[in-house]
Amino acid sequence: MIAADLRATGALARRSLNQTFRYPRYLAPLVVFPSLFLAVNVGGAGRATSLPGFPAVHGFLDFELAASMLQATMLTGVSSGMALGIDIERGFIDRLIAAPISRPVVVTGRLAANAALGVFIGAWFLTIGLIFGAHIAGGVVGVLQVFALLSLAALAFGALGASLALRSGNAGLVQGTFPLVFVVLFVSTAFFPRNLMQEPAASIAAYNPLSLIAHGIREPVIHGASLASFGEGLAGVAIVGVISSTLAALALRHRLRGD
Amino acid sequence: MSEWRADLTVAAAIIRRNFNEILRVPGGAIPGIIAPTIFLIGLTSVFGDLQRLPGFTADQFISFLVPVTLLQAASFSGAATGVNLARDIELGWFDRILVSRAPRPVILGGLLAAATMRALLPITVALIVAFALGAAFPGVGGLAVAVGVACLFAGIAAAWASILAMRFKTQAAAPLMQSTVFMAVLFTTSYAPEPLLSGWFRHVAHYNPVTQILEAVRQGFVGGVTWGDTWPGLVVVAAGGTLLVALALRSLVRMGR
Amino acid sequence: MAGIDLEVAEGEIYAFLGPNGAGKTTSVRMLTTLLRPTGGSATVAGHDVVSQASDVRRAIGVALQEAALDPLMTGRELMGLQSALHAVPRSESKQRSDALIERVGLSHAADRRVGTYSGGMRRRLDLAMALVHEPRVLFLDEPTTGLDPASRAAIWNEVRALNDEGTTVFLTTQYLEEADQLADRVGIIDHGGMVAEDTPEALKAGVGRPSLEVTITGDHAVAKEVLGRFGTPYKASNGSLAVPLEDGASGVAEIVRAIDDAGLQVDSLEVRRPTLDDVFLAKTGHALDPAGEEEPDPAGAVS
Repeated sequence: MIAADLRATGALARRSLNQTFRYPRYLAPLVVFPSLFLAVNVGGAGRATSLPGFPAVHGFLDFELAASMLQATMLTGVSSGMALGIDIERGFIDRLIAAPISRPVVVTGRLAANAALGVFIGAWFLTIGLIFGAHIAGGVVGVLQVFALLSLAALAFGALGASLALRSGNAGLVQGTFPLVFVVLFVSTAFFPRNLMQEPAASIAAYNPLSLIAHGIREPVIHGASLASFGEGLAGVAIVGVISSTLAALALRHRLRGD
Repeated sequence: MSEWRADLTVAAAIIRRNFNEILRVPGGAIPGIIAPTIFLIGLTSVFGDLQRLPGFTADQFISFLVPVTLLQAASFSGAATGVNLARDIELGWFDRILVSRAPRPVILGGLLAAATMRALLPITVALIVAFALGAAFPGVGGLAVAVGVACLFAGIAAAWASILAMRFKTQAAAPLMQSTVFMAVLFTTSYAPEPLLSGWFRHVAHYNPVTQILEAVRQGFVGGVTWGDTWPGLVVVAAGGTLLVALALRSLVRMGR
Repeated sequence: MAGIDLEVAEGEIYAFLGPNGAGKTTSVRMLTTLLRPTGGSATVAGHDVVSQASDVRRAIGVALQEAALDPLMTGRELMGLQSALHAVPRSESKQRSDALIERVGLSHAADRRVGTYSGGMRRRLDLAMALVHEPRVLFLDEPTTGLDPASRAAIWNEVRALNDEGTTVFLTTQYLEEADQLADRVGIIDHGGMVAEDTPEALKAGVGRPSLEVTITGDHAVAKEVLGRFGTPYKASNGSLAVPLEDGASGVAEIVRAIDDAGLQVDSLEVRRPTLDDVFLAKTGHALDPAGEEEPDPAGAVS
């Protein structure tokens, strides 16, 4: 049974990845939009590094890479939730539920694909960063730290998207949460140091788990890999992950019961 | 019925139908209406301290950013018009309009007018929130110029998105419509005055014609309204509008050929 | 599209019959100004479809294959919009819309959103919308595809009634029965070209006379000899013996008497007239499959 579930998960993960890479409508929001937003932020607010209190960095691009990676990873959650919603609308999920596989496989395939997309997003933005002059202070170990945290974060955000899709069965509703990605990111330290943010965003950012994740993937770029920053990032992912996987499990149960 | 009255009736019917989506599926329209305001609040919270940079031309970052939000609201409305048109083409509804006796310019006029009016919704929401958060009041004249130019920009954005809709004939082109107009607004002096922009971005902003439109909208929020700051924006609106509307009309006339 | 040359007379119902992908919809889109022809010329209601496209649009009503209707609008609102698009005076719009809605049997649902309509209701509303400006020529692209028999019959009745009132109707269909039932003339289209065109009766007469199919218990050689007196007997598709009726159905009695006189026992007897199915097979070399899958020429089939 475990072997069959793993095989089904692998097949569904491949299907999800094919969907993402074959159709620009799925891939574009994940990489193009955050990349352009990165260009705007760096070009428009690049002088921010000269503000008193801004941490010592090689450049604003180095600082902002974490924001773009986190943003893109969160969008994978929205995107995979949308795709799951479409599967529900078109009855594909019913076919899976009717198959002799464990029920969670309905979601695990997409989550596995999300984890792979997290690594892809890390590679994409670090490459862009290097092309446009960023320095990755942590070297190879730092890159691995970024990949690991993004992969886990993508799993957590994927579970959140899945819970919305399973609960509502409506792709349009999941798509409607797109602006929320920005809302929660704006009240974290993803884009700017907390000491230079305005209130009340600065206070909220202190308790926002996204700030922890942003720190975990920023530190290897601007200062170097460390267990402390990795642990901080991991803690952020864990907070989001526990909440999202609980919601996803409840939503799956709700869908299977049809209540 | 005289020809011009018949044309007006057609345009009004197309405008009315475009508002159906907002009125009958408000849940679907709300994200587009509040998104620009979310950006305004978020970017102000995050980048608000940029006003402390020497050479920054506004007392408050939010006043500097409100015009960007107005143009974002306009571009969202324009893109939504294109996305809806693509859906209508995809589903075959637009064929019904094309086989009617309505002249093509009237059909396009109805679509663009709907986008212009639709922009007023997110613009109003953004202005109310901005003033509540302490943005400078630009004066009645400044506000009229800002809202007027932003609405015209919505029409231009709708013309551009409609060209894409008629070219690709699928809603899958939606990200292209949304991201191009969105970025056209952001690759300007959106976050800071031109001298404070970095590297290649400063050159892009300098030559991006939307910068002129943005500065025309912005003038009342960061100082007084002058003809000198207004006319370059109006020239770009007129030239860009004429070009894109002509191209959109060409696409419409050629549809199916 | 190539080699299509047709003329539809005023007041006629003309059916374009062919399988999916034969070019029916392309033809309609060209004739309704939605697609510009790459060559040749066409006039509708006396106007050229390219140079006088707007005059064509004023004269025609179109119900397209997908019955694309805005699901957010009610039936009555859509009629109003259609009236506006065709510049129907406001004073007449409501009256005409109400009359048409009643005519197609949608009065009970007129104020409901179209998203709640069944397929048959959508098609009927589509037809009503196509008529709101009282067009001289009505184009119906596969008006009954996918509909249940009752909805199909309702549309047919409406088309007949409209034609009786003087509207010229050009319809496309992949249903032989529809063309046979409705059309004054039928054009058979296959692979983008016209392969036959005439009245249904003339088309059917063109592929053969009626025949008598007889299933007999007894000596087949004797039966063949008896039938041979009236024509050349052949084996019908159902295994029975058949003979063409040279003088139509009036020759049946004489044949039956001859069989009886020969002491043969008749199990079944059927006069079979050619159908448009036979016409289609004869003209295109394959059967018409409404599902769109063209079958290869079934060798030995009745022809």
